Amino acid sequence: MNDTRHAIEVNDLTVAYHSKPVLWDVDIDVPEGVLMAIVGPNGAGKSTLIKAILGLIPKASGDVKIYGKSYTQARHLVGYVPQRGSVDWDFPTSVLDVVMMGLYYQLGWVRRPGRREREMAMEALEHVGIADLAHRQISQLSGGQQQRTFLARALVQDAQIYFMDEPFAAVDAITEKAIVALLQELRSRQKTVIVVHHDLQTVEEYFDWVTLLNVEVTASGATKEVFTEDNLRRTYGGRINTLTRIAG
Amino acid sequence: MERLLIDLLLNFMSAEQLYDALDDPRMVAILIGAMVAVSGALLGTFLLLRHMALTSDAISHTVLLGIVVAFIVMVYGLDQEADISSPWLIVGAALSGVLTVYLTELIFRSGLVKEDAALGLAFPLLFAIAIILISRYADDIHLDEDTVMVGEIGVAWANANEHCFANCEEVVITPDHPKAETGRQCINCKPSGPYSPRDPEAIFKEICSNCGTYPASIAYTRGYIDTSPQIVLWPRAITTMGVITLVNALFVLLLYKELKLATFDAGLAAALGFRPGLLHYALMALVSVTAVGAFDAVGAVLVVAFFIVPAATAYLLTDRLWRMLVLSSFIGALAAYTGYDLARGDFLGIYNLDKLLVFLDKHVLDLGGNTTWNVHIASAMVMMTGFFFLLAWVVSPRYGLVSNTIRRMVQRRRFREQLLLMHIHNHENTENANRELALDTLHMHLNWSENHLKRMVARLRSRNLVRVQNNLVIMTDRGERLLQKIMQERISA
Amino acid sequence: MTKNHTMLSALLVPMVTIIPLSAVLFDVEFDYNLRMVLLGASILGLVTGVLGSFAVLRRQSLLGDTLSHAALPGVVIAFMLMGRELGWLLIGAGIAGWLGTVLMNMIIRTTRIKQDAALGIVLAVFFGTGMALLSYSQGHEDASRAGLDKFIFGQAAAIVERDVLMVSGVAIVVLLIIGLFWKEFKLLTFDSEFASTNGFPVWFLDLFLSTLIVVSIVLGLQLAGVILMVGMLIAPGVAARQWTNNLSSMVILSGLFGAAAGASGAVFSAAAEGLPTGPLIIVAASLIVIVSLLFAPERGLIWRWWNQRQDQQQFLSESLLADIYRLAEKHGSTTYLVPHGMLTHLHGRAARKVLRELAAHRLLEKQATGWRLTAQGVIQAEKVERNRQLWKLYRLYRDEFEAPPVVENFQQDIREVLPREVVTRLERLLA
Repeated sequence: MNDTRHAIEVNDLTVAYHSKPVLWDVDIDVPEGVLMAIVGPNGAGKSTLIKAILGLIPKASGDVKIYGKSYTQARHLVGYVPQRGSVDWDFPTSVLDVVMMGLYYQLGWVRRPGRREREMAMEALEHVGIADLAHRQISQLSGGQQQRTFLARALVQDAQIYFMDEPFAAVDAITEKAIVALLQELRSRQKTVIVVHHDLQTVEEYFDWVTLLNVEVTASGATKEVFTEDNLRRTYGGRINTLTRIAG
Repeated sequence: MERLLIDLLLNFMSAEQLYDALDDPRMVAILIGAMVAVSGALLGTFLLLRHMALTSDAISHTVLLGIVVAFIVMVYGLDQEADISSPWLIVGAALSGVLTVYLTELIFRSGLVKEDAALGLAFPLLFAIAIILISRYADDIHLDEDTVMVGEIGVAWANANEHCFANCEEVVITPDHPKAETGRQCINCKPSGPYSPRDPEAIFKEICSNCGTYPASIAYTRGYIDTSPQIVLWPRAITTMGVITLVNALFVLLLYKELKLATFDAGLAAALGFRPGLLHYALMALVSVTAVGAFDAVGAVLVVAFFIVPAATAYLLTDRLWRMLVLSSFIGALAAYTGYDLARGDFLGIYNLDKLLVFLDKHVLDLGGNTTWNVHIASAMVMMTGFFFLLAWVVSPRYGLVSNTIRRMVQRRRFREQLLLMHIHNHENTENANRELALDTLHMHLNWSENHLKRMVARLRSRNLVRVQNNLVIMTDRGERLLQKIMQERISA
Repeated sequence: MTKNHTMLSALLVPMVTIIPLSAVLFDVEFDYNLRMVLLGASILGLVTGVLGSFAVLRRQSLLGDTLSHAALPGVVIAFMLMGRELGWLLIGAGIAGWLGTVLMNMIIRTTRIKQDAALGIVLAVFFGTGMALLSYSQGHEDASRAGLDKFIFGQAAAIVERDVLMVSGVAIVVLLIIGLFWKEFKLLTFDSEFASTNGFPVWFLDLFLSTLIVVSIVLGLQLAGVILMVGMLIAPGVAARQWTNNLSSMVILSGLFGAAAGASGAVFSAAAEGLPTGPLIIVAASLIVIVSLLFAPERGLIWRWWNQRQDQQQFLSESLLADIYRLAEKHGSTTYLVPHGMLTHLHGRAARKVLRELAAHRLLEKQATGWRLTAQGVIQAEKVERNRQLWKLYRLYRDEFEAPPVVENFQQDIREVLPREVVTRLERLLA
């Protein structure tokens, strides 16, 4: 339809859990270099969509292309920031160590991270502004610091496409600003960033591309065109009334 | 394999020394116990962090099924003698462990049963099948579930292979050998023949009574040779556990990075293509192999302790994974070492349990005069793991009960200090300062006891943060500065 | 609907009891010994089944495993002091198990160690201590004490009348307590947080329930042994859960399953001489679980598989109808001929069979090059399309309309699932 390269193409993706559809016939194309939010009500399958794209959960049907290749061939192009609550923060390890995990793919099997990796991780930590916490045990971090750690881990991956699952969930205002700045910077470097987001008020401010999802995709495209009250109503139904009132 | 190991050791000691060392049941039991402990701790650390501690319990039970099936295959399928040290046992064990985990996941994935219940369904069934098979084929496979479950590390040294290093030649005694015992003997007399030696038909011949071939060790004891052969009696369990320890250590060392990632964040591991599922099953297979290797030393039930308890102890002591691996191995080995002595009544060399028993027997209960604490060794080792856990739980500098209590007390005190400073700050230079900050009524505003307030004020005064003027508590500049700093920290956190 | 299931499960009970009874056909002689074992095993199965259903629902299935191991030092000490007297053994085990529970809870509360590891630590260390004490006690050359290890690994054949009386007595007490505190236990199981905000002493009830579980475990040790007790505790509960959503029928059913498993184990053990009772009980209980997982109505795997298949078939046929309808509409005529290749391309080879079926129902007409809707087909397609639209609206507006939460299912007529007034509102929205 136009000559922008598609970073991600999702075709007819359906995911079912015990025959109950969680994602239904999802069809989206994400052009390169956009900051895209996936929004929708609770239980709409936002995280599921990311996980299905990354091959973390089985698909009932459909396929996913990343720069025209299957995920297994394009692994090196993809960075992933899971939900903060998905890991056990009591795990005995340091912030620096967690960040170095982002380099494991480049290292491949068996090889250990060395000085070079350590330096790269430090750099990423500086980038997100928590270099002074590098040797801290991860359970001693605040929510915002944990999120920054995860972002630093994604940064060292030096990917083309980033998937972030609720990075703004339960972080303080300063961290939220820092994350936004980071996202903008990534876009300026022609990276594509997909963010699962739950705060409708900030969508227009933070993102230039949006996918509205409620089991099915109700709309997907540039925020200016797609993020309309009509589309929101088709996504959130009756629940939107209170939401739009706040968004004004 | 064994020979290689022994050769290696002989570079450091003479064969006699090695023989003496291995002839010592205590030394052998501790060595084997320590190897069980180390191999258990290495895997147990990851089990603990994956919240799968109880899977080790399930697996250590179900390896019995693997053992039984391996025995049945050996006896009925391959027509072999059933042998505890056969490699088939290892295969059977690994398979049964993987089967346990697979069955649990299968039940869980049906979505009808919670995860804990799935485990609790799978392993009793497999264990029950194992016991039924044992009782069905008991006559042929000589396996007793009690021994498998309990084990006896104390006798491991006796179950040994003989290795000889010098003067090993067999001694052949021929009739002309100087040590040959010869004499004339009737060869057709009664009972084999019809004659008596006195009969003229009796034939006599020169007969050698001890002619034949003798292994060097027997030849030496019989005095046929003067120089003792250099023999090492190598307990088989050392080889088994040694190999298992080595394999586990290699697994953890080589795949340290992968295991760490898959344990901490399985989602990312999968996204990066590190096959966390595969690692998971490899880990489970090794847990099974370790359990089966350890069963005739410490028993299947007690091996669970070596998987879980030292790892949990280390978890209370450190915040780094590799330190946790080292520490849990060390604690496990230490428990094996001190546990052997505990089994003989000696608690860490500081107290002898026999004294307690004598006291109990005399004054409290009737123990029937049984005042010697001489118990199952592996159990005593487990008791020591429990003791070390208790110790870490109470006094660990990071996560111990004592340090936690102290930390909480300090925090509460600091919070109260801040509260007091805040209160002064808010009411200083206001109209009702006289009411709010008066030394004798201040405690009511904060809802503290009078004594408590007095103590707090005294403490703050001694640190020059407040002063008392006209019976009013007033902040000093120093106190003001401290409060500002605290407020700023609050905001940035 | 729940009524139905309770009836169904009531039917199940005679089925399950037939298993042990059928063993009569194996020509088993009901002698004194078998009668004792049979009685003991059934009563025990009943009690563990009842208690186990609470453990299963509270996600504490493995607590039983830990408690049965942790009871050992208590049993051994009681044995050394008081001899082989079931009452004292129970008290000893109760104290040890209780201590284990308290310790476990303390570990979880005061450290970052999670429940699984805390259970494992208590299990292993208590059991190790128990084994050490056991080997100490065996240092006595006292013949009567030699039987203790049989007690731990289970030996049903040793059950005598006194044991059965004891087991029955304890069983009655346990069941009475459950009956008395039914409301409290129900609340504890369902929502312990709610219970505690309503002033129920949750920690006490918790400990109380654990203590009852310990008691039933110790009763069962003699029969099944330490290691298999966890199976006796969990299996009946899991099986019962499949047949009903109602706590009281689940508990009753679980007790009956437990009793049936116990009885089957006893009888089969007598029938096949030499096979031990305990493991046979576990195998019987596991069989009940497998049957339940497979065949239970609505939840069962076979039931679900069949439904899924039906759903898929229906979904495909409805999708085909809707697609043809939409294509036809696009071309301005409801009787537009849709090329065959187009449909198989969209829906795969499975479409062929379904197309033929639709034709058999006279919803479609087959032509040489493709398919066309009949008049009846048009009506049906409109109905399907409308139903789907209503479902989509339901997804969007269910909160606003305060509609009851139901599982979204296109294949189901929405009017059958939702109350009339909600459907009317949805229909108005659609118009």
